[in-house]
Amino acid sequence: MSSSLADHLIEHARERPTAPALVWQGDVISYGDLLEMAQAADADVMRLGLADDRPVGIRAKKSPQAVALILACLKAGRPFVLPSVELAPETLDALFAQAAASRVLIPEDDPVHGVKVEATEVQSDEAPEWPPPGADEVSFMLTTSGSTGLPKIVPLPLSAIDAFTDWAAGKFEIGVGTPVLNYAPLNFDLCLLDIWTTLKHGGCVVMVDQDRGTNGGYVADLLTDHAVAVVQAVPMLYRLLIDVAKEEDGRDFPDVRYALTTGDKMPASTVAAIPDLFPNARLFNVYGCTETNDSLVHEVDLSAEVPAQLPVGQPIDGVSALLVDPESGGFVEGEGTGEFVVRTPFQTRGYLKASLNEGRFADYAVNGQGEARYYRSGDIMRRHPDGTLTIEGRSDFYVKVRGVRVSTQVVEQAIQEHPDVIECAVVAVPDEMAGSRLHALVRKEPESSLNSLSLRQHCTSRLARTEMPSSIEIVTEPLPKTSTGKIDRKRCGPRGERSRVHG
Amino acid sequence: MDDMTKIKQFIVDEFMPDVPVEELDADFDLLTGGVVDSLGLLKVVAWLESEYDIGVDESQLGPESFRTVRAIHDYVEQEKATA
Repeated sequence: MSSSLADHLIEHARERPTAPALVWQGDVISYGDLLEMAQAADADVMRLGLADDRPVGIRAKKSPQAVALILACLKAGRPFVLPSVELAPETLDALFAQAAASRVLIPEDDPVHGVKVEATEVQSDEAPEWPPPGADEVSFMLTTSGSTGLPKIVPLPLSAIDAFTDWAAGKFEIGVGTPVLNYAPLNFDLCLLDIWTTLKHGGCVVMVDQDRGTNGGYVADLLTDHAVAVVQAVPMLYRLLIDVAKEEDGRDFPDVRYALTTGDKMPASTVAAIPDLFPNARLFNVYGCTETNDSLVHEVDLSAEVPAQLPVGQPIDGVSALLVDPESGGFVEGEGTGEFVVRTPFQTRGYLKASLNEGRFADYAVNGQGEARYYRSGDIMRRHPDGTLTIEGRSDFYVKVRGVRVSTQVVEQAIQEHPDVIECAVVAVPDEMAGSRLHALVRKEPESSLNSLSLRQHCTSRLARTEMPSSIEIVTEPLPKTSTGKIDRKRCGPRGERSRVHG
Repeated sequence: MDDMTKIKQFIVDEFMPDVPVEELDADFDLLTGGVVDSLGLLKVVAWLESEYDIGVDESQLGPESFRTVRAIHDYVEQEKATA
């Protein structure tokens, strides 16, 4: 079965062969070029004589060659597992073995055809879990980090990809010729919007080189040079661009029409700077995960006062969103808090390894309908009287301090509300007496006089005593980040104790 | 240095070295503010005992006794007077 995504791309290549499909390291790759590369990749894969009904592994950093190889797989209806290349080689091999990949494909540059595909065997003792239910429908298999052990493989049906790419194109006006920034690494679910929605609908993907992703000036130039209209990124990118604008005398990006923030909470100081940075943009807070893709969207009212915490908003069309009381297991109707449990048109049927589904996926009968499969997000959310949802914290961000359940994210939120705070992380440190004690690492505005006392004074009206951090370290340099730009809380503990941090 | 300043200096040095001592108000609630927890309270007691040579009966010591610098100061004054 071939994918309508690939079919659409072929159509664009026929109708507008010279239209730009990808921008990469200063080169523009047209739809015609990209189709030829995909055909060359397909020919290389065909020569391997692989079984049609078994997946392949793809080991690739972001590149036009990798995009072409994925297109070839989509066109051939060949399922593929696409993990992060940053993983350890043994982890990668275990994932490929779990997906029963017949080969691991590595796309490389080629001066004649634009791409050539190398193939290696999979060597691992990991037990194969293929095929999952609905295997003939599976296309992308993305991975999501587990708290322990191997990342989890998330098989996504083609119908889910199609539904998502059509929704995203409509919602954010991605059509023929629309330049869209792709900031995320290739293996991220975010690429289903940045790259795959854009290519399906004839837009141009402006690809950020991962190795230069923290260089704000580089990304700023990409936005300007290619008149980027849609940006989706973690809050860190927006902060980098704000810093560039500050240095360059109020530089702005008037071509941007949609700015999407996702993956982490955007600090109020960043939200406040968006109208100057993108004078013509609407700002959306997007909530989703690999298992379900986007489920909630909130448009931020940029003319209103910035709330301390951005809502994640309301369910998008076709999404059924529940709050489930963690104690009773019953639905929370109307106002209240509970675990966010969701069903989307874009979701997986479950992890490839079926034993991982227990506790993460559950069947619920809602509104007199028959039972349907829902995903338990692990996020605790509050539903407000108008139906809007805000995140209270991860259920796994709760720690016990002196016997009391405390959410480190509630504490972070309170600290973040101080106007001199740029970003902060609160982590639980094991403590013999208290069980856990809280440590806060806070980055302040360089010129501000913020110290631990004034921050404590700010927090006393907002936090319970058990929520008050035992220790506060205030710095001016950026907090440690993961490769994906989220705050790396494992490296935010008290100096000398960073390996002991949990939570 | 008077006792009030001395106590403030100790609290700042021990629990919030990034704070100028003059910013610490004598009535700031050290417990609610999370500056001094139960472990911290033991450090305060140990310091009072060595600094002023006064006994602190820990069994008599509620968290309320040392809620502020002023409360600690009052305790010291009282103990000195009865010594």
